[in-house]
Amino acid sequence: MSRLEKRILAFSMVAAGVLFVPQNAFAMHIMEGYLPPHYCVAWGVLSLPFLAAGVMHIRTTVQQMRKTLILLAMCGAFVFVVSSLKIPSVTGSCSHMTGTGLAALLFGPTCASVLGLIVLLFQALLLAHGGLTTLGANTFSMAVAGPLLSWGIYQICRKMQVNRKAAVFLAAALGDLFTYCVTSLQLALAYPSEQGGVFASTIRFLGVFAPTQLPLAIIEGILTVLVIMGMESYARPELREIGFLKEAAQ
Amino acid sequence: MLTALLAAVAVWSLLVGAFPAPVPVVTGGLLAVVLALHRHEHGAVLHMDHLARNSHWSKVNPMLKTMSCLLLLCLCLMARTVWPPLSLAIVLAVLSRAGGVRFRTYQALLAAPAAFLSVSALALVWTYSASDSGWISIRFGTGYLVIGAAAQATARLVTARALGAVSCLYFLSLSTPLPEVLEVLRRLHAPAVVVDLALLIYRYIFLLLATCETMRDAAASRLGFGGLRRSVRTTGIIYGNLLARSFRRAQACFDAMESRCCTGSIRFWTRPKPVRPMHAAVLCLLVGGMVAALVCGG
Repeated sequence: MSRLEKRILAFSMVAAGVLFVPQNAFAMHIMEGYLPPHYCVAWGVLSLPFLAAGVMHIRTTVQQMRKTLILLAMCGAFVFVVSSLKIPSVTGSCSHMTGTGLAALLFGPTCASVLGLIVLLFQALLLAHGGLTTLGANTFSMAVAGPLLSWGIYQICRKMQVNRKAAVFLAAALGDLFTYCVTSLQLALAYPSEQGGVFASTIRFLGVFAPTQLPLAIIEGILTVLVIMGMESYARPELREIGFLKEAAQ
Repeated sequence: MLTALLAAVAVWSLLVGAFPAPVPVVTGGLLAVVLALHRHEHGAVLHMDHLARNSHWSKVNPMLKTMSCLLLLCLCLMARTVWPPLSLAIVLAVLSRAGGVRFRTYQALLAAPAAFLSVSALALVWTYSASDSGWISIRFGTGYLVIGAAAQATARLVTARALGAVSCLYFLSLSTPLPEVLEVLRRLHAPAVVVDLALLIYRYIFLLLATCETMRDAAASRLGFGGLRRSVRTTGIIYGNLLARSFRRAQACFDAMESRCCTGSIRFWTRPKPVRPMHAAVLCLLVGGMVAALVCGG
């Protein structure tokens, strides 16, 4: 391979990296068949306790108030619709919201993980994003880790009397970022690099997906704030009913 | 266009060194041409649902299809050489074509996974190292970007597995409508409340998509998507309104169900689809072939 050829190849790779990566819309879903079998099982097992807690929580709530099932179903459908539609983005590429952070804010992290699991299954079968074997890993990053962090941040911010809008923004944006970090870690654990091991590999995957995910997290945060504001002006009674606006009611 | 370029580079780096000189370049070039000719389209969101309902294979027993696809998926992940998953991918693509999915449509569906695969194959193949060992190395700052033989072999195997697994997933989702998969889950004793929730979500997706489309059209006709600032604002307002409306709709649905004396469990009638010997034979042949391929060296 001559020097010129090497230069051309290097240039084309940089160009592809800069121009192409922002178009990779579903960077956060690990695709079907990408993880080795034992990692699939391990991540699935790791997210099981959260899902079991979620199922029990939903079951008891539904027995007390049957309407919750319908509300949850509507929220799940909303998350699916939102995550399947394009949102405006900085780079002009097509990117999508995750929406699970919003579900966590409205219904709590355990309910959000069950909703997230169903939505991920639907995305795999209806949109071919993600997959059945990687369902466990995707559930852990998108339906357990992200929502849990979002919810935690929101609770802390409320305790510290932070402005509600700022709290919602922080929760959604950081939850999104956390999901992306966990996904990179999952990929790196499965495929550590020869030199430097898991850590170097994590940095590499973080770098590859960063151009899409950083702006996306900010836009997700802004959109979530707008959604909550919209809900506060149009659907106050419903928000109070699901317990989101408890403070405002008193 | 960029996808084509990237996929070509990815294929080239996967094959270079391991095969005689013209093979990587020709394969990469061919792939680039094929991908460049096809346009990335964002059609209807639920295109796959439509295809599944119109598939010739939708008459096959859903339990049989789901179980054999899951089995094939697991076998695919256990492959240790490239050939079994790749041949499985080709066989299943042909089967999907026979089920009534056009080749063009199948290719368009493959575009999104292909993009993910190319990017991560590049990340797997190229390593940064201090010395210039390996098939190919390019000077980069103080060190070298290197394609090593071991990393390349791993990346090739991962790519092949992923292609095989995606074709399994596509075969299932292009031949089985989602409610039937949920019915299979119910038979397998998944928690009833989750299956009910999933069924309701499936039905509400259509409602919400239609509402959302109307609102987007209304906003677009009032120039709501001019510029980034305004489009973010419009999208946020639309989503907020959509969620508010969906909650209101939930109230209406709940009232309707209560007034019809709903006791909690939600069941829909499903058409019985008996297992035909022919279908079972074909799927068993596939699974058997895959097992044989894995046992004899793969």
